Amino acid sequence: MSSPQPKSAGFILGFSMVIAVLIAVPFFVDLFYQTFLTEVLVWVLFAVSFDLIFGYTGLLSFGQALFFGLGAYSIAIPVSKFGLGPGPAFLLAIIIPMLFAWFVGYFSVKLSGIHFVIITLIFALIGSTIGETWPSLTGGADGLTVPFSPLQIGPLKIDLTDIKTNYYLVLIVVALCFLLLRRMVQSPLGKVFIAIRENEDRARLIGYNVQRYKLLAFVIAGGLSGIAGGLYGITLKYASANFLHWGVSGHAVVYTIVGGMGTLFGPVLGTGIIMSLEHYLVNYLQGTDLVIGIVLVFMVLVAPKGLVGLLQRKGK
Amino acid sequence: MISNLAVAILNGVIWGMIMALIALGLNMIFGLLHIINMAHGVLYMLGAVVAWYFIDLTGNFWVALILAPVVVGAIGMAIERGLLRTIEDQPIITIICTFGIMLAVQHLVFMTFGGTPRRINIPIEGRFQLFELQYPLMRVVIAAISIGVMIALWFFLNKTKYGLWMRAVVQDREMAVALGIPVNQVYMWTFALGSALAAFSGVLAAPIVYVDFMMGREILIMAFIIVIVGGMGNLEGSVLAAIIISLIQGVGSLFVPPAMATVFSLAFMIIVLLFRPQGLFGE
Repeated sequence: MSSPQPKSAGFILGFSMVIAVLIAVPFFVDLFYQTFLTEVLVWVLFAVSFDLIFGYTGLLSFGQALFFGLGAYSIAIPVSKFGLGPGPAFLLAIIIPMLFAWFVGYFSVKLSGIHFVIITLIFALIGSTIGETWPSLTGGADGLTVPFSPLQIGPLKIDLTDIKTNYYLVLIVVALCFLLLRRMVQSPLGKVFIAIRENEDRARLIGYNVQRYKLLAFVIAGGLSGIAGGLYGITLKYASANFLHWGVSGHAVVYTIVGGMGTLFGPVLGTGIIMSLEHYLVNYLQGTDLVIGIVLVFMVLVAPKGLVGLLQRKGK
Repeated sequence: MISNLAVAILNGVIWGMIMALIALGLNMIFGLLHIINMAHGVLYMLGAVVAWYFIDLTGNFWVALILAPVVVGAIGMAIERGLLRTIEDQPIITIICTFGIMLAVQHLVFMTFGGTPRRINIPIEGRFQLFELQYPLMRVVIAAISIGVMIALWFFLNKTKYGLWMRAVVQDREMAVALGIPVNQVYMWTFALGSALAAFSGVLAAPIVYVDFMMGREILIMAFIIVIVGGMGNLEGSVLAAIIISLIQGVGSLFVPPAMATVFSLAFMIIVLLFRPQGLFGE
């Protein structure tokens, strides 16, 4: 509070360096790793959106998968079924998940603690059950393949099927969302979210309408999860009912816990490390859940503040 | 039609008995430790898998029915002692921790037991006439065993010292500590018992369904629905809810697609959570 200036200067320096590296990377790695890195960036956005609702506002939501899947479908269905251009479809990937988040949140924020966890999980389950049993619209578990026409912004023509172009598009969107989130959690609004996490009753007694702020956090997080889902759909040219499954929310839980919740930077770090780990493990263990589960339990028990917490403790 | 209906009703009631056991385990752990055990589904799955190995080894279903819950109960005890103990006062963190346990155990079973579903041979082959159809006797035996376990559990909770301790800790933890009840031990045994109940219902379900490393996933959600509809911490409510919900799903599946029945029961659960968080049968 007393000296925000140097901290913020440090952030700008660090952030610019990371972005500079990320801009340069595609010139040094092959297409396979460009795609991998694109996916990491998408999940980074998903994880930081989860961090807003869980890390900052204290609400463990297993419903984020619903908004992620809706984001992917908001692009996949209009583009493949109705021939909509990718530009307007991307706007839908923000609006539709936010509308659903408002609906789900309206009921969910009335509950707190474990009841909130369960109700968000149920909403996600309803979504994935409907998605699986409505293959004419969603393609079911097999999914929908999406043929993308080039995205036209003014005179600029962006070819989404080009892997490098797709990477830069995702990088720009994720970086902007990250900056927006960072600005938000440092604003008075973010302080209210943190106040609710720390002590809901006290925040209410001070005079804040706690439910309204919770709903606001839920809708923003839902919209950002939707954008992540939309980017995922664009990257894979594909959307499936599996995206809606509540287990997908588990990814965000793992990345956020491992990296450090309530830090924004933590989930970024967690996503990068866990996804790299998965990338190497998947060939040896026919899957990665064993290691991921053990890492999750270990972090919860030994370092509940995540890797960022460990780094800070060492720094002191 | 009448025989189809009779079979659906009987199937519903019998499946309800099995579900009641797993829901009782989940609800006991919740009522006492205030832990939402996301790993409860894999404990049920472990029961069936461990039983499969015992049957493979001894060729006897009844040996497996006794031993598998003991083994899984011990695993549950190890989970509570080794992992959950230090975080038991943080309900949200325990959800994440048990979620991690769920991921790890499920994958471990996949790596060792394999991904192909396996069958357990039915120990009692007999069938009896139900209107025009033949109905397997084994299922009725399964239901009878479940009822036997529930009666035993009732006696344990209401007529023994440990049962009294458990109920005392549920009612007022601090007072129980003050009265010298070993609360830590009560926690440990409750988690072990809850895990054993999940495993027991897994073994009982094994002759009806396939044994598969994913079998706990759907069951976990069903157990949640039952516990919430019946009332969290309300054990009698869980039994009642298990039978009613299984009956509605069994009979309902004759008329509507099963996925639609699932969506309706999930929506119903949301309504219960919002308007009757103490459950349908609570005060």
